[in-house]
Amino acid sequence: MEPLTTSLKRVFGFEHFRSGQEQALTSLENGHDTLAILPTGAGKTLIYQLYGYRHPGCVLIVSPLLSLMNDQVNRMRMSGFKRAAAITSQTPFGERLSILNHLNQYQFLFLSPEMLAQPQMLARLQQIRLSLLVVDEAHCIVQWGPDFRPEYLLLGAIREKLHHPLTLMLTATAGQQTRAEIAKQLRSQPQVVTESVNRPNIYLDVENVADEATKQSRLQDLVAHLRRPGVVYFSSKQQATDTALWLRDTTGVTAAAYHAGLDAEDRFKIQQQFMAGQLDVICATSAFGMGIDKDDVRFVIHYHLPADLESYAQEIGRAGRDGHPSVAILLYAPGDEQLPLALGQANRPEVDTIQRYYAHPQNFAADDPQIQLLAFYRSHGISEDAVVRLFASREQERNHALAQMLAYVRTETCLRATWLQAFDETSPAHTARCCAPGNVALDLAALGLTRQAAAPTPEAVPWQERLARLF
Amino acid sequence: MEAVDLGQLLSAQQDRRIRVIENLLRGKKTVSTLYWGQRYRLLPLLNLDKHLQRGGLDDAIQELQHRGWATVDGDQATVRLTAAGEQQLAQRAYYRPVTTDQWVNLDLVAARQRLLLAVQVTSQFAHSTARYYPLATDQETRRAVRQWFHRRKSPTLAPQLGAALTHSLQQLPGQTAGVVTDQFTGFGQPGLTSEQVAAAHQWTVWEVHLMQIDGVVQIAQDARQADHPLHDLLGPLWQVPISRSAQATLTAIEAGGDLARVATIRKIKLSTVREHLLEAAIMLPLRDFPYERVLPPQVRQDFAAVLAGSVDDWQYTNLPEELQTRYDFFYFRLFAIWQIKEATA
Repeated sequence: MEPLTTSLKRVFGFEHFRSGQEQALTSLENGHDTLAILPTGAGKTLIYQLYGYRHPGCVLIVSPLLSLMNDQVNRMRMSGFKRAAAITSQTPFGERLSILNHLNQYQFLFLSPEMLAQPQMLARLQQIRLSLLVVDEAHCIVQWGPDFRPEYLLLGAIREKLHHPLTLMLTATAGQQTRAEIAKQLRSQPQVVTESVNRPNIYLDVENVADEATKQSRLQDLVAHLRRPGVVYFSSKQQATDTALWLRDTTGVTAAAYHAGLDAEDRFKIQQQFMAGQLDVICATSAFGMGIDKDDVRFVIHYHLPADLESYAQEIGRAGRDGHPSVAILLYAPGDEQLPLALGQANRPEVDTIQRYYAHPQNFAADDPQIQLLAFYRSHGISEDAVVRLFASREQERNHALAQMLAYVRTETCLRATWLQAFDETSPAHTARCCAPGNVALDLAALGLTRQAAAPTPEAVPWQERLARLF
Repeated sequence: MEAVDLGQLLSAQQDRRIRVIENLLRGKKTVSTLYWGQRYRLLPLLNLDKHLQRGGLDDAIQELQHRGWATVDGDQATVRLTAAGEQQLAQRAYYRPVTTDQWVNLDLVAARQRLLLAVQVTSQFAHSTARYYPLATDQETRRAVRQWFHRRKSPTLAPQLGAALTHSLQQLPGQTAGVVTDQFTGFGQPGLTSEQVAAAHQWTVWEVHLMQIDGVVQIAQDARQADHPLHDLLGPLWQVPISRSAQATLTAIEAGGDLARVATIRKIKLSTVREHLLEAAIMLPLRDFPYERVLPPQVRQDFAAVLAGSVDDWQYTNLPEELQTRYDFFYFRLFAIWQIKEATA
């Protein structure tokens, strides 16, 4: 078989791998399950693309975000891998059938965990040759598993049914505990390929504000003065939408909201506008980011407190991929931890509910998400006691993760040190260009991150001319 | 849909059932929805908002009530504009679509998807770009556009398409032409979302949506010409506005069967035959439905002798007992549809 670098050159035209890619590929080529923890923008997709190119059979990718799966397929097609398809619960029946009937012709198949868990899908997959199983965003096993995506917890059993295919687990961030949990859930002892999560060119900042109103006006002030483009993260779709409008009206920035509630056409347009430099600011939920290739994002602001440092690291990782100075700002008002607490608990049934459900499952409405979760566990033969324990331990983990996040917010010395410590890394020595904890003021000018003169706005051109430009 | 959009669909002269409007938008084609849709002259709304949730208009209704523009009859679940509401709504220059009579005859969603992707593909081709993100669409749209593009691909395609679109848009109001152009994605132009266009002009998103539909329909209409570059892409999306099954029933009736016999031949219930016929009568022009056969002159005379005034006030249960025994509800309803069609023909 030709050397990896020869394949790289042939398929992508690159001379060199980016850091981590070659190690992960080598590990896979040697037949080892591999957990690759590589920062956002490191080119994780290339690893399985190249593996799929070099080996016959189908690369099966399990991916958690339904709304982005079709984007991923488009991305594959654009890279020249035409035999790619995705099946999710949103795939129309006819399309699903047509893909299933030609399954052995696909080189890359993206599936949502729900789809993969269906017995008939598994049966079809058992009939084809799988060259590689990829678990994308593998940290979701831990972050989302018990609450949102119980199907991720079946992946271990599914791997067994698929006769232990070679498996690549991908994530941007995973501390020791998350790594261990991923390996345990997937019933695998992977080789770990890891790069530091540290991003030295991203300046870290935490700002304490007195209340919601102060937070809003601080956001307004920052957006007006920061060098653009940037992303502001929210935990609520509605607030992302409202704030985009408000920022547009009050600061004159071009802003748009991006969340999973938008339809595919709008998501496409907002994403393309942002990539083309037509938008200054995106007000987003966590749906934005995975798979966005934009190198020059100068700031990421968190309006709401993320539930854990891993999500936070993922999201600030959108900034400064070109290596130039960028900033990650977290706005914190007293009591902000209530929102992630409430969101975490929204799907968690009380012990009492679990007991009543197991006693009389038929008495419960099937459209309640909590009940759906319990029905899922019950139908997979998990006992009442085990479910109670599962939720209790999950809550402990979540509380621990939130406590870590709060420790970051309350850090008084070096934010980077607290952050990296959570990923079992040691931080480089603190300097003036490292961070500004809550008790230190942010000096944007010193960082060279204040905004330059505004770009000229395009003149109003008659539609005939705009139409002509297209052709 | 905002309050002002919903207001446009209401009347100060007629109580309108909100569920009918909702079902029309969601494309739930029961005979009752279609019948009342016709009474309200809102049939073009069919399928316009398939993602609308049940109860999805409640906020807009509350807003209309709050402003004193509409009153709601809770028992009947009907809404009526107040005089003030009618006046306020008339003061605002609201967009009036110009192609509505064709809307039910075209698969609007598919036509829009195909048009947008075809424009993008042609635009990128014209600029020799091979690598770009295609619009995320369903497989059927991709298949249709791919086949179309392979047949049509040539150096003249882009100028031809540009000229054809320009010709179509010139027939529409200037603002509509602008909106349709703004939504296109292509080389160096990501395209604007409806929300962005609406904000820029202070229209509602729904108005922008209506303008976009006007654009799609105008272009599809022009593409009926055999030499139009989009002819074979959009042509197959013109449709008879009734279900296949209803078409089959209608054909069987026209071939000379009576209702009961058609039910037996088609192995469906008599009540289904009747539903099919009512759907067809509502959705098709007067001349395309066999009234002579299904609603003979004698039946019409019998109803005409006792029914007068506004069709909305007719009640089957108010008919003389003897007439109710002779004709069941189906004929009563069909007579009303025939009357409405006659009056508007």
